[in-house]
Amino acid sequence: MKARQNGRGSNDAPHVCEGDGLSGRFLAKLVLLNVRASETRYGMTVVAARSSEWMRPVTSQEPASAIIEIDRVSQVFQTSARKDHLALSDISLTIEEGAFVSILGPSGCGKSTLLYIVGGFVSPTSGMAKIKGHAITGPGPDRGPVFQEFALFPWKTVLGNVMYGPRQQGVRAAEAEAQSRALIEMVGLKGFESFYPKELSGGMKQRVALARTLAYHPEVLLMDEPFGALDAHTRTRLQNDLLTIWERDRKTVLFVTHSVDEAVFLSDKVVMMSKSPGRIRQVIDIDLPRPRRRNELLLDPRYQKYVVDIERMFDESDEAGPVS
Amino acid sequence: MMSRFFSPNVFLGIAPIVLVIAVWQGLVSFGFAPAVLLPPPGFVFGRLLQQLVTFAFQQEIAATLIRLFAGFAIAVVLGVSIGIAAAANPAINAVVRPIVRVLAPLPKVALYPALLLLLGFGHGSKITLVAADALFPILLSTYYGASTVEQKLIWSAMAAGTPRYEILFKVVLPAAMPSILTGCRIGLVISCIVVFLAEMITSTDGLGHALVTAARTFQAVDMFVPLITISLLGLILNGLLGALRSYLLRGFPEA
Amino acid sequence: MMTPAALTKRAAPVLACIGLLAVWQVASLALKNDSFPTAIEAVRAIPDILGDKESLLNILASLRRMAIGFGVAVLVSIPLGLLMGRSRSIAAFFNPLLMVIYPVPKAALMPIIMLWLGVGDVTKTLVIFLGVSLPVIYHSFEGAKAVEEKMLWSGAAMGLSPAQRLVRIVLPAALPEILTGCRTGLVLALITMITSEMIARQSGAGNILFNALDMGQYDTVFAMIIIVGAMGIFLDALFERARARLVRWSEPQFDMPLSFS
Repeated sequence: MKARQNGRGSNDAPHVCEGDGLSGRFLAKLVLLNVRASETRYGMTVVAARSSEWMRPVTSQEPASAIIEIDRVSQVFQTSARKDHLALSDISLTIEEGAFVSILGPSGCGKSTLLYIVGGFVSPTSGMAKIKGHAITGPGPDRGPVFQEFALFPWKTVLGNVMYGPRQQGVRAAEAEAQSRALIEMVGLKGFESFYPKELSGGMKQRVALARTLAYHPEVLLMDEPFGALDAHTRTRLQNDLLTIWERDRKTVLFVTHSVDEAVFLSDKVVMMSKSPGRIRQVIDIDLPRPRRRNELLLDPRYQKYVVDIERMFDESDEAGPVS
Repeated sequence: MMSRFFSPNVFLGIAPIVLVIAVWQGLVSFGFAPAVLLPPPGFVFGRLLQQLVTFAFQQEIAATLIRLFAGFAIAVVLGVSIGIAAAANPAINAVVRPIVRVLAPLPKVALYPALLLLLGFGHGSKITLVAADALFPILLSTYYGASTVEQKLIWSAMAAGTPRYEILFKVVLPAAMPSILTGCRIGLVISCIVVFLAEMITSTDGLGHALVTAARTFQAVDMFVPLITISLLGLILNGLLGALRSYLLRGFPEA
Repeated sequence: MMTPAALTKRAAPVLACIGLLAVWQVASLALKNDSFPTAIEAVRAIPDILGDKESLLNILASLRRMAIGFGVAVLVSIPLGLLMGRSRSIAAFFNPLLMVIYPVPKAALMPIIMLWLGVGDVTKTLVIFLGVSLPVIYHSFEGAKAVEEKMLWSGAAMGLSPAQRLVRIVLPAALPEILTGCRTGLVLALITMITSEMIARQSGAGNILFNALDMGQYDTVFAMIIIVGAMGIFLDALFERARARLVRWSEPQFDMPLSFS
């Protein structure tokens, strides 16, 4: 309730601007505009009081900019000889090019499975997923995964891991090495090129995994709870760095997480899923200004309201019917 | 490296070996065992050094090593390729699995008479026996390693654009390497044992034959020499494989 | 009722046996080698061996030595392996010695032990004992080493003495690994038994094999191979069933036989 009242505030805008620290007038203006715009939209929902009003018809986006379309996908797993488990039920979702979309839900809601279907690692029992209008039939370098388990090749050094993709794409060794070294530097691991993954901490491993995936220039990043295995401090730092990297070239990101904070902090759009069977409950636009800075955002009542409201919606999951 | 070598644990480990030799010496010097049956350790090791420099004994070692390496190499090639193929292809798996189930627990040495009949008394039958014995631990651990490769490693490589058949060489084989090398280690020790036994059962040369010759003439000293030699060979080869292992697995945790 | 899948799984090893015999049959017909009888001829010779009282007694005596050697080895090796697994200094004490003994072919000790103890049952049983001990010690050691420290702490908190912890926590926790070692040991016992009899050439199943070879009774040689092979497969299958029952609680294990010869 408190968050909701705080959330109304025209007093927020100056706060954002001051804290931003951006010197360029143009940028400041842009940010201001952005905040204003989001405020008005936000205000509406607050007045509307029912959080379900945030829900948007999932296919309502302009089709021209859609990069990934998930069309009535269901996934059934055989758990034992006679028992089937409906992991995903009739999921439809469109993801626009350049959007940072989080899939948020409790463990076991099939959110990772959905990501694997987009990755082409798992084929859906029914329905189909498309990238740029083409049906997804298998993995491809246009979609780069980053896994919670890092999945680095233990027999390759940091450089060897990052170079793997470009080399596989036929890039000449010298060129691949130069690109990879630049990427390693970008993720903050300069000096660790010849280290083996076992010699790195969890956070560093995930940086390498991110660099390895970025190295073959995928159009979509598929991140499967990438920071789930990291301690809180490391997770925060990686979230910040991921945002910095993402804000530079705005690749499409599909980000699976069970952390509400993480989803709200990073995303343009949060897809809330419910459990057994896995369905999309709601799709929520996160209208918070970019570039986002953690120290400002955590104090921002609108951020807080998003977090509190989403958490409350999960708590009320018995009452609210799933949205199809 | 050196500090580890001289750690107290090493002294603790040398203790029982020294103890065994001391008891051995004691048994002989205090007259509990006649020197004809149990020659004193000094005498045995002296004889070993004396033999090692003779050309005739070196030839015995060479004969044993040739059979050992040939058999072991065949076992590695067959074991690794069948193991990977069985892990990668369900149809091959369906054929290989029951055959392995039947053949793995079969005492291969019982096949030796049949091999003698089919391949003669020369190198062929012994090499085949060594290969048959060393094959299964290598095959099984390769299969185990290849079928437990982390799925996400394969997915990562596929997403980077690796074609399916290349996955086998670029991901499955290196990822299964720790397991494969464990199998090779077991296979190598088995090769040492089997080649020696085959030579003891029927042969005209090799370390096993040297032992049998000595036994026929009740030369206890000369019976110990080939035994100690094969044990040393086993330790040296094991050490070499261990060095290869730590080089190949330098990236793996707890290599 | 068994599902078709389970039925195929059961039948697969039998099919594999039949397939192997068929390959043998075809190969021997194709080779037309006098010393390579067909599978059918070899199978036909089996009743003659098992019907012959002396051969049967020989085989049974072999099995008895094997059982005793295996039993004693297991009784000695498991406690030693467990102690090594839980005490760093005990492990450091025994490991190098075991490493030196490891590549020594145990059956090759036959001539030397024969020199001291004669050619009787004691020598052959001792050799089998030596052959079985190492894998059982090794696997017990690995099993005990892998027991989680916190389980032992809980045991200590409940007032178990170190000896009680070894018997009531370490032993059951390491049991799956120990039984893997025993399974390897069982196959090794059979191998050592046959090999030692082949080397000593005095009595037992291995001796029958080589006697027949010397006398040119090739049917008998191959029939004996089938008998020994069947023993190995049967003992392994029997042990595997017992093992699966004893460690039902543990994670479903890898179902290819990991035992080696």
